[in-house]
Amino acid sequence: MNHLKKLLQMVPAVVALTLSAPALAGVPVPDVPQAVKGEQCVEPIDDMRRNHMKYLQHHRDDTMHRGIRTKQHSLKECLECHVPAQQPNKGSQGSEQHFCQSCHTYAGVRIDCFECHATLPEKSALFHPLVTPAMKAAKQVHTPDSATLLNRLAGNLPNGTEN
Amino acid sequence: MTEKTQPDLARREFLSQGAKAAAGLTLAPGVMLYGVAEAKPADQAVTSKVRWGMLIDTTKCASGCNACVQACNEENGLGNEKKSRAEQVPQYIRKVELREKATGRVVSMPMMCQHCENPPCADVCPTGASFKRADGVVLVDRHICIGCRYCMMACPYKARSLVHEALEDQKANNPRGKGCVEACNLCIPRVDEGGQPACVEACAAEGHKAMIFGDLNDPKSEIAQRVAKYATTQVRADLGLNPGVRYQGI
Repeated sequence: MNHLKKLLQMVPAVVALTLSAPALAGVPVPDVPQAVKGEQCVEPIDDMRRNHMKYLQHHRDDTMHRGIRTKQHSLKECLECHVPAQQPNKGSQGSEQHFCQSCHTYAGVRIDCFECHATLPEKSALFHPLVTPAMKAAKQVHTPDSATLLNRLAGNLPNGTEN
Repeated sequence: MTEKTQPDLARREFLSQGAKAAAGLTLAPGVMLYGVAEAKPADQAVTSKVRWGMLIDTTKCASGCNACVQACNEENGLGNEKKSRAEQVPQYIRKVELREKATGRVVSMPMMCQHCENPPCADVCPTGASFKRADGVVLVDRHICIGCRYCMMACPYKARSLVHEALEDQKANNPRGKGCVEACNLCIPRVDEGGQPACVEACAAEGHKAMIFGDLNDPKSEIAQRVAKYATTQVRADLGLNPGVRYQGI
């Protein structure tokens, strides 16, 4: 009986611990950038959160093998709306600011889309790769960062903001 | 620091004129009106009613001219490989010079994926990544490609390349990355929207007009009428692959 009492006393403590686990672990909730254009996504938001990968994969095969190039579920169009092309301040902060990457980092899901696909919409004058300087340092790669070089060339970065 | 000079506007004007002529919009008197290909609706799949092909007139192709290769590299974002050795750097299109030993006649011509009707690359592909689309364009689905390079060995035209390193700053129209085989795709995103491949446009802009792109199945198209009228050659026709790219004057 004493045991049970002790256990019951522990319950609130355990619950409190569980609830505060994310805060304790120090994982900040991602600051997902607002969509650049449009008021509404191509599907309801809760549906997109759960199923965007299915839409993308289905569209990918349709486009690749059957030449169907509708815009609704195209990755290119995702970037057109969600990735700020003309906002140097948002873009130049690196991959953590990228619409796709910010959430996938938080969720711990590694996507390989951007090993091949462009990370920015086509009309953008700004370049930023998903391989950040920090990732390069971890891999001990010392090549000059193409994004920094290109942005400096294009005059997108004010002096002193590059790493 | 050199002074910034004004861009050569006369040249730009000339280039845009060339592009218009290539699209078949300007017609001189007496020139036959060719059907201009219309873009298919974006939501419809490609069909085998169309067979995209290219005709290259080697008598018009200038030795030393590299415009098609440069246009291809620009269009597809090639040339951002920093670590690859020269023989590893991907090429979708290359200029080849042939010399006939007996006579000394030299022929200059571009070589790229020949878009075979029976592509050996697709035959040997273990994953189905190499395939021929219904309209005759041979493509690599990089989502399925495992980089085994069987197709590179099977191709008699040496048309394919492997990307050997991680890449950045790819073009939105041509996603490409490490460990995948790639080749000329006839600029398929342009073609699906009713456009012409970049190399064909560049060749016309240079004033050579040695390359013609179009639907071989459409009797009204310029390419179909030309191949019906003049003697054209398929490279290595003995292999029975029926390439969609044909050459004149070799």
